[in-house]
Amino acid sequence: MTTNLLDLPSLLRLSNLQLAARVIAEGALAGLHKAAHHGSSVEFAEHKEYAPGDDLRHIDWRAYGRVDKYYVKRFEEETELRAYLLVDVSGSMGYGRQHQITKLEYAKLLAASLSYLLLRQNDPAGLLLYGEDATSYIPPRGRGAHLGDLCRALTEAEPEGRSALASGLGFLSELLRRRGLVVVFSDLLPSPPTDLKQERHIGEYLQEQSQLLRARLCGLRAQKHDVIVLHLLDADELELPFTSLTWFEDTEPGPQGKTRLFVDPADVRNVYQQELQRFLGEMRRGLREGDVEYHLVPTSRSPESVLLDILRGPLRGRVRR
Amino acid sequence: MHFLAPLFAALTVLGVLPVLIHLHGRRRAKVQPLPTLLLLLASHRRVAQRTKLRHLLLLILRVLVMVAIPLCLAKPFIETRSDLPVQVGAAQSAVLVIDDSLSMNYRPEAETSPLSSSSLLSLAKRRAARLIEALPPGAEAALVLGSRGTNAPVPELTADRARLFSSISAVQPSYRSTDLHAALKRAAQILQTVRRSQRRIYLLTDAAAHAIDAALQPPPDIEVVVLDVTDEKPLPNRAVVGLHSDPAPSLGARAVRVTAEVANQGDMPVKELPVTLLVDGKPVAKGLLDLPARGHAIKRFVHIMQPQPVPAAPDEPGTTSTTRPTDPTPALGGVNPSSGLHHVSVALKPDALPEDDQRHLRLEVQRYLRVLILDGDPRNLRRDDEAFYLEMALRPSEREEASFAITTQPLDEGISGLADYDAVFLVNAKAADIERKQLARSLRDYVEGGGGLFITLGDNVDVDAYNTALAELLPQPLAVIKTTGPVRRVGSDPEPDSGETTQTGAGEHLGHLEKRHPLLLPFSSGRSVESLHEARFGRYLLLKPTPRTSGESADIVLSYESGAPALLDRALGRGHVLLFTSSIDRDWNNLPIQPAFLPLMQQAVRYLAHSPLRDTEPPTLIGQPREVRLQAGDTRVEVTLPSGKTRLFERLGGRQVLTFVDTIEPGFYRVAASGEGGVLRPRSAESFVVNIDPAETDMQRAPAARIAALQRPISDGTLTTHSGQAPTRRVDLWHYLGALLLALLVGEALLLRQK
Repeated sequence: MTTNLLDLPSLLRLSNLQLAARVIAEGALAGLHKAAHHGSSVEFAEHKEYAPGDDLRHIDWRAYGRVDKYYVKRFEEETELRAYLLVDVSGSMGYGRQHQITKLEYAKLLAASLSYLLLRQNDPAGLLLYGEDATSYIPPRGRGAHLGDLCRALTEAEPEGRSALASGLGFLSELLRRRGLVVVFSDLLPSPPTDLKQERHIGEYLQEQSQLLRARLCGLRAQKHDVIVLHLLDADELELPFTSLTWFEDTEPGPQGKTRLFVDPADVRNVYQQELQRFLGEMRRGLREGDVEYHLVPTSRSPESVLLDILRGPLRGRVRR
Repeated sequence: MHFLAPLFAALTVLGVLPVLIHLHGRRRAKVQPLPTLLLLLASHRRVAQRTKLRHLLLLILRVLVMVAIPLCLAKPFIETRSDLPVQVGAAQSAVLVIDDSLSMNYRPEAETSPLSSSSLLSLAKRRAARLIEALPPGAEAALVLGSRGTNAPVPELTADRARLFSSISAVQPSYRSTDLHAALKRAAQILQTVRRSQRRIYLLTDAAAHAIDAALQPPPDIEVVVLDVTDEKPLPNRAVVGLHSDPAPSLGARAVRVTAEVANQGDMPVKELPVTLLVDGKPVAKGLLDLPARGHAIKRFVHIMQPQPVPAAPDEPGTTSTTRPTDPTPALGGVNPSSGLHHVSVALKPDALPEDDQRHLRLEVQRYLRVLILDGDPRNLRRDDEAFYLEMALRPSEREEASFAITTQPLDEGISGLADYDAVFLVNAKAADIERKQLARSLRDYVEGGGGLFITLGDNVDVDAYNTALAELLPQPLAVIKTTGPVRRVGSDPEPDSGETTQTGAGEHLGHLEKRHPLLLPFSSGRSVESLHEARFGRYLLLKPTPRTSGESADIVLSYESGAPALLDRALGRGHVLLFTSSIDRDWNNLPIQPAFLPLMQQAVRYLAHSPLRDTEPPTLIGQPREVRLQAGDTRVEVTLPSGKTRLFERLGGRQVLTFVDTIEPGFYRVAASGEGGVLRPRSAESFVVNIDPAETDMQRAPAARIAALQRPISDGTLTTHSGQAPTRRVDLWHYLGALLLALLVGEALLLRQK
């Protein structure tokens, strides 16, 4: 159950991201009824009858004394949860419905809250801010003071430039030495092609970019990392609620300037929503096939509920109350 | 184009308003950043073509709406050069003659657009109304119709336009013939009443050659202006222009041959034109006919008519009915089932003038006729009986449909009820028997009342006694017996060369045949005539010259080679007496064994009974009066027109003939009559058909020279002002614009709904 102590606009009014993160995280934890409590050391898991080739060091001699049979002890190694938070800071993440939260602000809240939870149990958390290229990278550390560094970096992040999330994922892939948790905060929207007029098949371009992104995410998962994608979209993007004839323009201008389209939204609303649903469906299906945890997150949703979903899902048992 | 309120027309510049609004809206449109622009672009490309077209249409519709509104308010109109002549614009007294004859029912566009085509009469009426409209103020006009026997709707000059318009509007199409002579004469009479210098007759017509004939001249000092409503276009037409029937005895007593003459008035030949024969309104036969261009073709149908029931002949004690009507088949849906009358028509596939695609015929089918044979020389042996051959001729075969109900009665028995018979044969009767029974008086009354008497001679005939006893009946007094060949003695062997015959020669053949006589109708072909001429007459009676006046003289139907009469016909009262100067059996001649004997005797009975198998009357044309004969006691007559309308005539007591003049429709007219207070009963014999005048079917235009001659300028030259332009007429357009505006608004609403 979420606390609902503060609503989104109230959270935004908190100038201290660290405090906002704490409010959100505590709210989420309050809603988490049951959480597995694990030790921080190597823990016994089960016995297995000895077979040639097993490590002799793991033979349970006490059991041998009791039942006169060799049993090998098996252990569940609980390593520290090394988390990498990748936040997309491209221009499109700066969009938010008027007087409401932008996608980037929403991503900052979620990333800070998650960092708070991880650092609270001394799990190291790192941060990569990636727009057209890496804006900022803070390696994972488990110290409590590290939260301040993360929140400072998040606070200073501004949306700008074209999206190059696939490159960001590649960049992160090279950084990761040990198995870890990768959480991606992005709208997964590719930037328009540099020369849109030459690009006759926008649908194909979209599909190619989307496939590339999915391939990178699934690649991380193939490297044994746990990958969580939080797909952040604004309600305007989901519904296209505009009414009158409007000039729509791109949020990530290319070298030739902004792309504009003069259209009556009522004329294209139905077809737009069909296109969007197809895009989201392909993304969801592709990522789930690659065993990547995917969550579509409208920014109108409360961050606690999103955090709670993560805690009950991929991080189940990994975060203590 | 002109405007009644031109200031409003200036507001049509508002038509650019939607374009300006569109451009302004484009410039001032809100700019909205959208990260999913790529998805929006992809969506837009899918619907761009459709939405662009819709927006363009919407823009055009809105521009048109903005233009149409001020245009409507400006009340635009156009002025077209009128198809009226220049003379219309001058102050004048005018008589409009509208040709409302049958040919004006022609619909020029009937082949291409049958629903919307207008008849020539409609065009003429419209043009007449425009002409009245175009006449200057103060001009007076009258209205006369151009068909035969019609009254002028406006018989005096008037400036009352409303009355003129109303009268023009009331002109109805008719089946009547054209009579422009009478129409121009009537128009001239109307114009004679005014002193105005400019007097004109506007003749609105199809200018057909049958209407404007060579004898049609303009009235003196009055200008005639011909307005040809056909615009000189060719008017092809097909019509049934002739129809008659003949008996077809080779196919039976009730077989008729119906012959239709079909004309093609067009310049193109017609192939396989469907032609239908209808009897009592039902099609009974169909055929195809090829028609040459501007030519005629004949179509013949042979049809066996349905038999009609007839009352049985009286069956009195002592009579020998040799033949009875045996066919009780009732008439099928006839005009009048008991009459034997049928309405026969031949119809073509309807064309631009459907009124002339059908022609009608009244056909009286052979009835069962009741025949009384008064046998003056009855015998026990049938073939020796005087009446034997006559009976055989009237009833040749038991299998053939009976047409005659024959009663043979010896003369020495009581005679009564002559009025129940259609024809009476007095066969070789003795004068003593005739006198003893006072038969001459009875027969005279019978004939004068409409009966038919056929007198044949023989060995029982005493010339002097006969002349005395039958003086009032014989067409001519008998003179002497002439023997020219072999004759047979009574009771002897029938062979002419037996010893009992007195032979003074080879016998005599028939000489002259009066073929115009109705009795000889079956002998129109050469073979049938030959059969008559083969008969040989060994003995016959010569006749004395008659002292009667020419009106009472008898017609000689057949003559011997010597010129002596063989068969005479005398009209007596309402009936006829036929005298055959030889015997009706083989005693004096061999006519009974000739093939011609049968049709001759049968036709004689029909003739005496007033029932020849043919269309019995000359055709009545539209507009011609028709005489309906009345019977004694008739006081009321009702005539039912083909359309079902009725005309009732009352208080006719004492009149013998009713002249019916309402022959305004083609088709079958039924007549019913009754006495005072009685129920009207069909009078089939008086029913008749009316057909259109075949001349009206020819739509060929009169020669231009003839029309020009009719329109020639009048002699003094002061009245002709043909210079200048034809008058113009105004056509309001705002109604159409209003309708267009409504359509545009509906279109815009529909387009907006599709969003």
